[in-house]
Amino acid sequence: MVDLDYLKMSKPQKMLHDLGRFFTGLPGRVGRGFMKLGLNIGRCFKGLWLSVVDLITTFRDGDWKTRLSYLVMGSGSMARGQWGRGLLFFLFQTVFNLYMVNFGMAYLAKLNTLGTVATEKVGRKTVYGDNSFLILLYGVLTLFFVLAFIYTWRMNIKQNKISQQILASGRKLKRTKDDLQSLMDSQFHKTLLALPTLGVFVFTILPIFFMILVAFTNFDYNHQPPAKLFTWVGFENFKTLLSSGSASYGDTFKQVLFWTLVWAFFATFLNYFLGMFVAIMINKKGIKLKKVWRTILVMTIAIPQFVSLLYVSKMFAADGLINTYLMKWHWISQPIPFWTNPGWARFTIILINIWIGIPYLMLIATGILMNIPADLYESARIDGANAVQMYGKITLPYMLFVTGPYLLTSFTGNINNFNVIFLLSQGKPMGLAGNAGHTDLLITWLYRMTVSDTNYKIAAVIGIMVFVVLAVINLVVYNLIPSVKNEEDFQ
Amino acid sequence: MTNNANVAAGQQKLRSKRGHERRINGTIYTVLVIMSIVWLVPFVFLVLQSFRSYKLEKGGMVDYLIPKTFSLDNYAFLFEGSNFFSWLGQALIVAVAVAAVTAVLIHVCGRLLDKGEGEGRGTRVALLGGSLLIGFVALVGLTMALQGFALAGSWVKALISLALFVLAGWIMARVYLKQDSKLLRSIPGYVVEDKHEGLKKFCAMFAEFGALALIAQCILAPMTMSQYVRWYGNTLTIALFTSVIQTVIVLSVSYALSRLRFKGRKLIMNVVLILGLFPGFLTMITLYFLLKQMGLTQAGAVPGLILIYCASSGMGYYISKGFFDTIPKSLDESARIDGATRFQVFLKIIMPLAKPIVIYTILMAFMAPWGDYVFASYVAFGHQDGYNVAVGLYNWVNTNDFQNYFTRFCAGGVLVAVPITALFLALQKYYVEGVTGGAVKG
Amino acid sequence: MKKLLTLVLALALALTLCSAFAEGYSGDLKVWVPDAAVDFTAEQVEAFKAANPEYADMNVVIEPVGEGDAAGKVITDVDAAADVFNFAQDQLARMVAAGALEVVEEGNAEAVKAENDAGSVAAATMGDTLYAYPLTSDNGYFMYYDSSVVTDPSDLDAVLADCEAAGKSFYMEINSGWYQTAFFFGAGCTLTYDSDNDGNLTACNATYASEEGLKALKSMIKLAKSPAFQNGSSISNATNVAAIVDGTWDSEAAKELFGENYAAAKLPMCDGYQLSGFGGFKLLGVKPQEDEAKLAACDALAAWLTSGDVQLARYEALGWGPSNLEAQKSEAVQADVALSALGEQLAFTIPQGQYPGDYWSLATGLGDRIIGKEFDDMDDEALMGVLTEFQETCASYVG
Repeated sequence: MVDLDYLKMSKPQKMLHDLGRFFTGLPGRVGRGFMKLGLNIGRCFKGLWLSVVDLITTFRDGDWKTRLSYLVMGSGSMARGQWGRGLLFFLFQTVFNLYMVNFGMAYLAKLNTLGTVATEKVGRKTVYGDNSFLILLYGVLTLFFVLAFIYTWRMNIKQNKISQQILASGRKLKRTKDDLQSLMDSQFHKTLLALPTLGVFVFTILPIFFMILVAFTNFDYNHQPPAKLFTWVGFENFKTLLSSGSASYGDTFKQVLFWTLVWAFFATFLNYFLGMFVAIMINKKGIKLKKVWRTILVMTIAIPQFVSLLYVSKMFAADGLINTYLMKWHWISQPIPFWTNPGWARFTIILINIWIGIPYLMLIATGILMNIPADLYESARIDGANAVQMYGKITLPYMLFVTGPYLLTSFTGNINNFNVIFLLSQGKPMGLAGNAGHTDLLITWLYRMTVSDTNYKIAAVIGIMVFVVLAVINLVVYNLIPSVKNEEDFQ
Repeated sequence: MTNNANVAAGQQKLRSKRGHERRINGTIYTVLVIMSIVWLVPFVFLVLQSFRSYKLEKGGMVDYLIPKTFSLDNYAFLFEGSNFFSWLGQALIVAVAVAAVTAVLIHVCGRLLDKGEGEGRGTRVALLGGSLLIGFVALVGLTMALQGFALAGSWVKALISLALFVLAGWIMARVYLKQDSKLLRSIPGYVVEDKHEGLKKFCAMFAEFGALALIAQCILAPMTMSQYVRWYGNTLTIALFTSVIQTVIVLSVSYALSRLRFKGRKLIMNVVLILGLFPGFLTMITLYFLLKQMGLTQAGAVPGLILIYCASSGMGYYISKGFFDTIPKSLDESARIDGATRFQVFLKIIMPLAKPIVIYTILMAFMAPWGDYVFASYVAFGHQDGYNVAVGLYNWVNTNDFQNYFTRFCAGGVLVAVPITALFLALQKYYVEGVTGGAVKG
Repeated sequence: MKKLLTLVLALALALTLCSAFAEGYSGDLKVWVPDAAVDFTAEQVEAFKAANPEYADMNVVIEPVGEGDAAGKVITDVDAAADVFNFAQDQLARMVAAGALEVVEEGNAEAVKAENDAGSVAAATMGDTLYAYPLTSDNGYFMYYDSSVVTDPSDLDAVLADCEAAGKSFYMEINSGWYQTAFFFGAGCTLTYDSDNDGNLTACNATYASEEGLKALKSMIKLAKSPAFQNGSSISNATNVAAIVDGTWDSEAAKELFGENYAAAKLPMCDGYQLSGFGGFKLLGVKPQEDEAKLAACDALAAWLTSGDVQLARYEALGWGPSNLEAQKSEAVQADVALSALGEQLAFTIPQGQYPGDYWSLATGLGDRIIGKEFDDMDDEALMGVLTEFQETCASYVG
C-alpha cells in the first residue's frame, strides 16, 4: 500500500488496516523473535565460553594473590589493601559455605523428587517426614543462591584481573574509603537500588518462580504437606485446566476468561467515556460549584472499599434496601435477583463499578482537558463547528492520544481487579465446574482455589494463564500504539 | 429600519443562544445533582444505620432508613473495655500543658527581648529563658520518667521516656535559642505583624508535643484495648510504617531509574514490567510460608504485613519516575559542576522540588493498608489480635458466628472512613497531580 | 544439619519418653472455637485444670475462629493451626484426606461411642475409625415463626399465604446444598457418598434424576415464585421476617425478635410430602501432634469439653443442643422449644455423611438458578435434563 492511500483512509479504516497489518505481520515477527531468541542464546553460550577462557587465562597470568582468590574469595583484594571489598567477598563466601553445608545441600539434593520420606506414626505420636513444600521453596532459594555465588565469584576474579592490570600500569588502587564515597556518587544507583531489589527478589521473583514450579506438581488438598508428599507431574495440570471433559475445567476456564475480558472491557471503556463526560460537564464554562461536585464524586475513592463496597453489596441483596423499598412502593412484586441471576449479577457489578470508577477518570480527564490549548477550540468555533464536532475532532483524539498507555494499564488492572468482585459478589452465583461462579474473574477463581479449596496446583496454572493473557494483550497493543501515535496530528 | 431589524434579530439570536445555554446548564446541573445523590446516598445510609440501636432494633439491613431510636451503643461497643478516651485525654493534656507553658515563656522572653537594648542583653535574656525552659522540660520529663518507672518497673522504659523528654526539650531549645529563627519571630507576642502565622506555628509546635506525648504514653502507660481499638491500632501502625518505608523505597527506585544512567537500567524496567503481569494473589501461599519462617504470621502479623507491603513496593515506581522525568536535567548538572555528589543532588536539590510526588506517595501508601482484607486475614491466620480493621469488620458482617453485628459494622466502618476521607480530601490536590501525571505518562 | 536433626530427634524422643512417665503437660495449647463460645470455653478450661492438676500449668490459648473457617485453616497450615478445634462434620473427609486430624484415642473412643447418639458418632467416623469428638447434635434445621402471623405451621403453602397476607417474609436458604436437601430428601431422593478410612470417596449414590427429584425441584420453583420468599438462613440478618428455616444457634436471636410470639416447629409439609433434610453435628477435632504428652493433653481436654456435664453446661450457656445421651435427657433440654422442634424434625432427616467440597458449590449453583428464575418456564423434560446433569456431576466427584 502506498503511503498516500493510507493517509486518505478514515480513522476506523486506519485502525483496521493497522490491525490487519499487525496480524499479517505476526508470523514474520514471531519468526524474527525466535531468531533473535536463538541469536541471544547463541550469544549467551559464546559469552559463557569466553568467560571460561578468561578464567583460565586470568589464572595463568595471575600472581599468587589472584590465584588465591579462586579459592578464597576476596583474599586478593585484601592482600592488595582493598580491605572493604575483600572482606565483603570473603564474608559472602563464608555465609554461602555455611549455608550450603548446613542447609542448602540437603534441600537441593531432594529437589528432583520433592521428598521421599513419608509421615509416620510412632505410637500415637506423629513423626513428620519430608516436607515437599519446604523442599521446593528452599530448593529454589538455594538454586538462586548458587547462581548469585557463581556470579559473585566471577566478579571477584574479574576484580583481581583489573587490579593487577591497574597496578601493572603503575596507577593506584581505590581504597575502601574511595569505595564508600563512590556509593554516594558515581555508584549511587547501587545504594538506591540495593534494598528494593533484594525485596523484589525475595518477595516477588522467588515466590513467582516457586508458583510456576508448583504448576508442574500435584500440590493440592490430597497432597498437603507436612502430612503428605507432593511430587512432579509434568503438564498434567495444564491439561486439566485447558481440556474439556467431566474431570477437567476447560469449559469453566473458557467461560471465566470470557467474562473476565468482557468485564475488563466494560470496566475500562465505560468508565473512561462516562468519566470524561462528567469531567466535561463539570468543567464547562458557567457551571458553578466545580469543587463541590468534584469533592462529592471523589468520596468513593477516599472511603476504603471494604466499607463502601460491602455496604453496597448488602444494599442490593434480595432483602436489601433497594429491593425492600421498591417492593414497598409496589414497583415490583418480587425482589430483583441482583446477586443470584448470572445476567443480573454481571450487570450489577458493572453498574456499581461505574460508581467506583468514574471519579478516577473524572480527575484524570480534568487534568488533561485543562491542557488542551484553548485556541484549538477557538479556531474550530470560528470554522463553525458545533460542540459535538469539537468533541469528536479535538477533545476525543487528544484524550485518546494522551491516555492511550493509561487505557492499557487500566485494562490490565481491571483483569486483575480483585476487590470489586470479591467484596460485591464473591463470584456468585455459583454453578460452574471447578467451584467457580458466574461473576468470577480468573483472579477471584484463583483466590478461591488457593484459600477455600487449597487446590494450589490449579491455582498456579490459572496464575500462569492470567500472565499469558495479559502478555498477549500487552504485546498486541504495544505493537499498535506507536502507529496510532504517529498519525495523530493536532496542529 | 433595516438597521433596527438587524439589531433586533441579533438580540433575539443572542437571547435564544443564551436560552439554549441556560437549558444546557440546567440539564448539567440536574445530572450533577442526581449523580451527587447517587454518590452520597450509600454513605448517608451507612451513617444512619450506624446510629440504629443495637439493643432495641436488632437485625441486618432492615427495610427502613431512619432508625426509630438514635443511639450510640454501636459506637460504645467498639470501645467497650478500652480506656481509649482517658488515655488519649492524658496525652493531650500533657501536650497542651507543655505547649502552653512553652508559648507563655517564649512570649515573656520575647517581650523582654523587645525591651532590651542592644544585642548582648537580648541574647542574655534569651539564654535565661532558654535555660528556664530546659529546666522545666527536664522537670516534667523526670516526673514522667519516674512515673513510668513506677508504672512499669522497668529501667528501659524509664530511660526511653527520659530520652523522649530530652527530645522535647531539644525541640524547645532549638526553637528558642536560635534567635533569628522564623519560629521565634512569629511566636505570639514577639512579632505581632502576622497573627495567623503565629497561630500556625503554635499549632505545629503543639502537634510536635502531641506526637511526643502520644509516643510517651504508648511506652509508659499502654492503653487497655477493645478488639476494635486493637485492630484500628494495628492498621494505623501498619499504615504509618508502610507510608514512611514505602515512600523511601519508591523515591529511591524512581530517582535512580529516572535520573541516573547505569548498566542494567533497561533490564530492571523490563523485568518489573513482566513481573507486573502476574496476578498478585498467585504467590499468597508462598508469601505466607516465607513470613512464617521468619515468625511474622499470627502474633507477628503486623510487622509481617509491613514487610509484605514494603518489600515489593519498588515495583510501583512508575508515577514518581514520570514526575522526576519532568524536572530539568540542567539542575543536576550545574550542581554536579559545583562539586556536589549525586547523593547531595538527590537530597538537596531534587527532593525539595519533589514535594507533590512525595506527598502523593505517602498518601497512597498510607491509605492502602486500610482496605486490605485478603493478605491481612491470611497472615493473621485466625489470631484475632493480629487482625486489621478490614479483616475484623469483614468477619463481623460476613460470618455466621457474629449475630446482629451489622450495625456495629456500620459504626466501625464510619470510624475508619471519616479520618481517611478527611485526610484524602485535604490532600486531594496532590492526588490529582499524581494520577493525572501517571495517566499521561502511562 | 542432618546430625543436628538426629540429635534434636533423639532429644525429643528422650523427652517424650520421660514425659510419658511423668505425665502431664505444661506447654502451650491452642483452642479454636466460635466467637460466642470463647468465654464459655475459657471457663471450662479452668475447670479442666482444676480437676486435672497434672495439666494445671498448661497455657491454653483460646482464639475465636468459626467452624466454617477452622477446617480450611487447619488444612492450609497444620503447624500454625489450633491443637483442638471446633468444626462442622461436613469438613471431616477433607481434613482426614489432608492428614489434619488425629484419630481419637482408644479409651476415649469407646466412651464417646457409648455416651453419644448414634448419628453424631457416625458423623465423626470415616470408614470404621473415629476421628473426632461429637460436640453437639443440633446442626440441623427446622422452622422458627411468628405465631401472630403464621397460623398453620404444618403446611408450606399455608405459611407462605400467611406471610404474603401480612406482607412479611419467609426465609429459607435454598441455594445452599445443606438446606436444599429438605426438598429432595423429603420427596424421596437420596444423595450419599461412601468413603474409606483415609477420607477418600469411593461411591456416589444419587437418585435426583427421578420423578421424586422432579417433584422436589418443582416445589422449590414454586416456593421461589412466592413474593414472601427470601433466600437466607440467618435470623439476625433477615429483614421483616415472619418465618425462617434456621437452626438452634439462632434460638436466642429468634426469641428476641419474635418476643412472646416466638414459636418453633418441625419443617412444614410441601405438596403432600414432609420436608426432610440433614441432621448435622458439630465436632471437636485434635490435630496430629509431634509430642506425645501434648497429644495426651489434647485428648484429655477434648474429652472434657465434650463430656456430658460440659455439654449440658454449654446448652445452658449458649443453647447448643447436646449430642450426649444423658444430657439430652435432662429436663431443661427436653423443655426447650427450639430443641424439641429440632427433635421432631430429626425423625425425618438423614444423618449427614461425607460430601465432596464441590457438591456444595454445585448445589448453590442449582439454587441460584431457581432463585434467578431460570427454570420458571421450563417443561418437565428440560427440568429432568437439569437434574440428570446435576446427578452426573455429583457422581463425577468420586475417584
